[in-house]
Amino acid sequence: MADNTNHSRQSSKVALKISLVAILTAVVVVFTMVPKIATPVVKGYISLCDVVICFAAFLFGPWVAAIAGGLGSALADLLGGYAQWAPFSLIVHGLQGMIMGCIALPTKKKNQTTLNTPVWRMALAGVVGMVVMVAGYYLTASLFYGFEPALVEVPLNLLQSGVGVIIGIIVAKSTVLAYPPVLSFMR
Amino acid sequence: MTTNMFIAGKGWLYTLDSRAKLIGLLLFCIQVFLPMRQIGVWFLVLLSIAVAIRSVGWAQAFSPLRMVFPVLLVMLMFVPFTYRDGDSMFIIGSLTIATRESILQFSKFASRFIAITYLCILFFWTTTMATILATLRWFGLPYRQSLVITLAFRFVPFIAEAFKMISDSHAMRESTYGQKVHKRNRIKDIMPTVTAALVFSLKSIPNLAMSLEHRGFGRSNVRTTFRSLETNRSLFTHCALSVIICVLFWILFHS
Repeated sequence: MADNTNHSRQSSKVALKISLVAILTAVVVVFTMVPKIATPVVKGYISLCDVVICFAAFLFGPWVAAIAGGLGSALADLLGGYAQWAPFSLIVHGLQGMIMGCIALPTKKKNQTTLNTPVWRMALAGVVGMVVMVAGYYLTASLFYGFEPALVEVPLNLLQSGVGVIIGIIVAKSTVLAYPPVLSFMR
Repeated sequence: MTTNMFIAGKGWLYTLDSRAKLIGLLLFCIQVFLPMRQIGVWFLVLLSIAVAIRSVGWAQAFSPLRMVFPVLLVMLMFVPFTYRDGDSMFIIGSLTIATRESILQFSKFASRFIAITYLCILFFWTTTMATILATLRWFGLPYRQSLVITLAFRFVPFIAEAFKMISDSHAMRESTYGQKVHKRNRIKDIMPTVTAALVFSLKSIPNLAMSLEHRGFGRSNVRTTFRSLETNRSLFTHCALSVIICVLFWILFHS
């Protein structure tokens, strides 16, 4: 009887984790492709995928953020017709999510949640994530079209990840207040 | 929003086994980064465009070129001023615009980028997403990871639709609905939309987990799969064909 209870508890945890990662991956895909904020100077767009990666890192930790962020960005590149960027997006955004999660939620303390994670720690995680993302995409673009032309993308990536970190911190705090059961998803 | 890049068409690429296609794609993508003669890479580009025209028609075949055009323009602007060695090819007055070395470098980067773009896009145009996932499973992707990808694709249109509805309903509450809005206000307005969309998505997680549990997910019994790829003699032939074409390219065009 005790074995059955433990087994069903274990299987429900696995099902919840799978569902969490799948839904967050889908959210990253949607936020990459649907909401676009136009940038005036270079006539490009910045997407909100970094918002969701920050959100996942601050709420659910490194592994969920790495898988959802990396996989979601790669799938968004595939669906958007930029398949050549997909493997690199998988690695860059995966690393970004993992490092941000490690800094924002470093230990599995019993009562550590986004509500009591200080904002400075989230901001630090965001800044480090920004550096990882911009450096990763710069190296990828250099591989495709050289070091100097790849510099053109750096300001745009900085802007996108900066906006993502700021909105991600605000949204993480406000989502926990709006929907408190979210904190039980990873326990 | 569609979660499938597959375009129904005709041609030998549609009949080629997806596993052979994936092997060929990886081999060609590696090959363009190895020392190859420029004429070989450009020949690969022209061959890819010809296969695209045969498979999906003229109108669709040139859409990847339109997509990469801005990147090619950036390359054209920067590469001539970065590589200044070699004989001057284009001179205006006393200013050397482009040298032989810079033209060769631009050709190398542009051909590589276009070739990889076409190779990847041809794979996704001629293979359905279900077949791609079955291929990855065949190559060893664990069941849980492929389930995550399948569920993500299933929920993308649902969440996209919800995001649009939430975005419209928030916009209609603003007094500036229908008017042009300053970019600063647009960024400010996006906060409640993003929060609401995230809460909406998070609320579907427990229901999805419950559905998976009802289907026995998480138990120790072996999972069966609805879709699988047949393993027969033609698989070996198709994979051999992919490898032979790549090796032939390498023999003909390596530097």
